[in-house]
Amino acid sequence: MSLFSDLYNTLAKFFRTSDEQIDASKSVATNRLKLVLMQDRTNLTPKILEQMRSELIDLLSRYVELDKDLLDLNFEQEGNQVALMLSIPVIRAKDEDEIEAAIKEHEKAMIAISQQNDENESDENSEIEESNDSSEIINAEEDDSTDPSMDISSKSMKNKDKKEVSAPEEIGNNPFKSDNMDLSEILETSLEN
Amino acid sequence: MTGRVIVITSGKGGVGKTTTSANIGTALAKSGYKVVLIDTDLGLRNLDLLLGLENRIVYTIVDVIEERCKLKQALVKDKKNPNLQLLAAAQTRDKTAVNAEQLKEICETLKEENDFVLVDCPAGIEQGFQNAVAGASEAIVVTTPEMSAIRDADRIIGLLATKEEITSVKLLLNRVRPSLIKSNEMMSVDDVVGILEIPLVGIIPEDTGIITSTNKGEPIVNDENALAGKAYRNVAQRILGEEIPFLDLDEPKGFMAKLKNAISKLKVKV
Repeated sequence: MSLFSDLYNTLAKFFRTSDEQIDASKSVATNRLKLVLMQDRTNLTPKILEQMRSELIDLLSRYVELDKDLLDLNFEQEGNQVALMLSIPVIRAKDEDEIEAAIKEHEKAMIAISQQNDENESDENSEIEESNDSSEIINAEEDDSTDPSMDISSKSMKNKDKKEVSAPEEIGNNPFKSDNMDLSEILETSLEN
Repeated sequence: MTGRVIVITSGKGGVGKTTTSANIGTALAKSGYKVVLIDTDLGLRNLDLLLGLENRIVYTIVDVIEERCKLKQALVKDKKNPNLQLLAAAQTRDKTAVNAEQLKEICETLKEENDFVLVDCPAGIEQGFQNAVAGASEAIVVTTPEMSAIRDADRIIGLLATKEEITSVKLLLNRVRPSLIKSNEMMSVDDVVGILEIPLVGIIPEDTGIITSTNKGEPIVNDENALAGKAYRNVAQRILGEEIPFLDLDEPKGFMAKLKNAISKLKVKV
């Protein structure tokens, strides 16, 4: 049998169209196109993707200690599907106590934020930001040092960026800056229910 | 009579909208239907050239809208086929000279006395596109098997989906090169249809005859021997509701090609 298949393969190679060699060009185009259309068709702008990323970091870092700089969120082609790929480099798993503490801290922060929100509802935006800053300092111990480019909300506050770079331990990577208020509100209402 | 208003659009320029309009229009007229072609590419008119009517144009669509002439006066009859008429675009004006409401009104008037009103849309997604689709109830999206053209077509399909008046959107795949598809250097018809997910109305092979037919100002559907002409005639038949199989463009020609094809099929079984 093997003699026949050897013979067949040799013959087939001779007659074979050069499909295999240039297969790449067309499938590369198809795959690239599928990816770009996926992005075109959704409304996920880079800004929203970045927000999704920073919210994911906040959520995940309650449970594991992760390398925020290397966290990677991207659309990728997986066979015939386009998948949202999240790669999370884990430094170490947190133990139960740490996780519990982090969750409690998070809940406390949310309540604090929503209370401040209620109080300042009629006030101007700048005041809300200021009051949020104070809550950030309270939570700073819990948070790891931050990369300002990670947090979209920090981009909108350029002066603060510099502060964060020079003294990251002073102002932590707090998830509840003004841009993220909507999410915390939503989370809170769903908790109440 | 109430005719059908079909817009021929693509997003990207240079994929063959105007050629498609001229050929489908001519083919439908040859089948005995009354057809009006409207060129809505103000400032960049070309449909008159493809039909060989550039010397007969007196009034344009802008003259009609600004009431310098009656609609009937602006319609130019084709040299060969009186069933086919052209409403030319103004060459000296831009897209702002016409608005969607005015174009819709023209389409409404024309479809009362014609079987088909084909609107040749300009490239892009701005005012010109919005004008062209305003009066239409059907759309043919022209694309080629290239990434940029497909991406733009996808955008256009998305925009057409937001138009309530448009009830049918079909795909015409132009400039297909079977030899490149065969060697996997070009996306196949199935690839493109799989991505854009709208029904196919035609597959037009790349044909050098298009160049000579454009040179002469005579649509290629008039050439009985040209493959692209046959493909366009099939498109017209499909628009008329007939079930016409798509041309088999992959058929190997020589003996060696057939042998190769047979052997490459065998390979799968072992």
